[in-house]
Amino acid sequence: MIRQALRRNPWAFLGPAATQTLAATLVTTGLCLVASFDGAPLDPGRRAALTATGIADLPVVFLVSSIYLSLLIVGVTMGTAIADQAGDLALVRTIGATPGRVRRAIAAQAALVALPATAAGLPLGLLAGYAWLHGLVEHGIVPAEVGFRMHGGTVPIAFAVTVGTSLLGALVAAVRPSRLRPAVALTEAAVPRRRTGAVRTPVGLLLVAGGIALSAVLSGRDAKTADEAGFFVMLAMCVGVGLLGPVLLRVAAPLARLAGTAGGLAADAVVARARSLSGALVPLTLAVGFAAFTITMGTTTEHVTGVAGPAADRWLEYSGTGAYTAFAAVAAVNTLVTATQARRRDLAVLRLAGGTRGRTLAVVICEALVVTGTALVAGAVVALTTLLPLLHTALGTWRPWLPASWLVGGVVVTAALVGTGMVLPAALSLRRAPIEVIG
Amino acid sequence: MESVVSLTSVSRRYPHGVRALRDVSLDVPAGQFVAVMGATGSGKSTLLHCAAGLDRPTGGRVRLVGQDIARMREARRTRLRRDRAGFVFQAYNLLSELTVRQNVALPARLGGPRARTVDEVLTQVGLAGLGDRPVGELSGGQRQRVAVARALVTAPAVIFADEPTGALDPTTGDRILTLLRQAVDRDRVTVLMVTHDPVAAAWSDRLVLLRDGAVADDRPTPDAATIADRLRGVSAVAA
Repeated sequence: MIRQALRRNPWAFLGPAATQTLAATLVTTGLCLVASFDGAPLDPGRRAALTATGIADLPVVFLVSSIYLSLLIVGVTMGTAIADQAGDLALVRTIGATPGRVRRAIAAQAALVALPATAAGLPLGLLAGYAWLHGLVEHGIVPAEVGFRMHGGTVPIAFAVTVGTSLLGALVAAVRPSRLRPAVALTEAAVPRRRTGAVRTPVGLLLVAGGIALSAVLSGRDAKTADEAGFFVMLAMCVGVGLLGPVLLRVAAPLARLAGTAGGLAADAVVARARSLSGALVPLTLAVGFAAFTITMGTTTEHVTGVAGPAADRWLEYSGTGAYTAFAAVAAVNTLVTATQARRRDLAVLRLAGGTRGRTLAVVICEALVVTGTALVAGAVVALTTLLPLLHTALGTWRPWLPASWLVGGVVVTAALVGTGMVLPAALSLRRAPIEVIG
Repeated sequence: MESVVSLTSVSRRYPHGVRALRDVSLDVPAGQFVAVMGATGSGKSTLLHCAAGLDRPTGGRVRLVGQDIARMREARRTRLRRDRAGFVFQAYNLLSELTVRQNVALPARLGGPRARTVDEVLTQVGLAGLGDRPVGELSGGQRQRVAVARALVTAPAVIFADEPTGALDPTTGDRILTLLRQAVDRDRVTVLMVTHDPVAAAWSDRLVLLRDGAVADDRPTPDAATIADRLRGVSAVAA
């Protein structure tokens, strides 16, 4: 019965499924690279040479980051999917399901979604691993003896990561709906919680402050220390910004009022829905942050020193960042689509209250601009905080350099992602007469 | 004098040949409270949707405050609706995450006329002081009063009400009907209300009964008991 309630809206789990597929792909890719490097028939001398370049560590770093990102993003999308089911869950609580049963059913559903998603990701990961290794060999970054190998533990590890992360995400998200008393549950389902949590915001502020402080400290140290500790700046900033997501949206929303009445309505909607939108803002910010960091690091180095870094290094960096960015982008778009689907009725209400199709879409576009702008600014702050100590210690400059074409490209791509997640589904739902949507 | 709502030989045929309305004509003068009743499937909601320009008839002519809306383009029709009509639905159709005030201000913020202030209409419906509460925290009766306030804030010529008391208990429902009656008597608003409740219909001036998508009866509203009898009459034949 609970399973039926969860299944009634299969689209809700599209987001988690897509991110799980990507997680399985990246984990598989990482494992295959690890196996290929470890298993390559190299004599001790050449292996030492390979190790010395640091490239041999890359698969491990890639793998660990993939698992870390899977935890974060699969958890976030699963949380959004469960929150969307809150109404149905309230209903099954009302007709007698115990909190434990609701939690178990949610866990089962989460695991069930993970299985086909992972099965789809495995072959993709093998392909990606093969292509990547082929690229590395072709660019002369690794010796040709490093052949493609599949890691023996690929299948169990990939399943463990996706099932594990989605279970964790689902159970965390299930605590609230399962604990509610049924009577409260039904009204809670109608009104999402408005408070942003007394713990979440201070912890987020603390992490961001810590990240900035660490960044300032590192700027005064040598290049090696800054390089090694830079990861922690990024980590603190990412998690901090993630926790501050709803607050950031609430702070940014009033800017939309500059865009007239449609903007004013958009600002109200963003403030009211800050929690669900932040599920998309977080991965989007990570994508912008990662991409901006990697690209600006490369372009600034080239600009200051006058020489491009070794093609091999850049190729490695960009392909790695590309994978993460794709990960985060897929998660963001999925979350936005889910959130917009859940709003179809609201949009119909706007039209019944006298909003023309164009004006209603304008409201959604303003909301999308708020999300885009917030993600760009937050992502830029994450990237800059991580980047500045590295630039200062290694290159002696405080000024990152990014060609205008990259900057414009980044803004356009971010806006396009948000548009795909928000404006496109809204425009499609506006084609139906409002009375049909509501009735 | 020009009718506020005027339907001339309106028909609405759905795909697969279902005829929800056949050749319905209805003229509602300013300041009249009309109740439309009929069995489930008699076409009463379709009639309301066509009259309000929420649905397009497949035949006939619909005039809203003197303008032909049957062939009007969607955006113009929406603006006319926004400026001259108000709506009250059974399911409230409010934005539950926004506050009472934000909901009532919607028509104005969508470009509609700022005929009356939000505080003025909130006082009129008895919600003064609740303006900053999220609608999601209100009771059903309070939500419906927010919907009435939103309908009144543009000082519309006509209010379309689709089962406005359908989700409410009799006492709460009476308060909503009192508000609609007041709007008619005090502000000369026209009300076209679809209902299945004879007690609700008794608040109207004129009762239109539909059977199989056609007007079966159209007379001044009698008392609730007579309404129930007449309703049973048209329903029995329809069934």
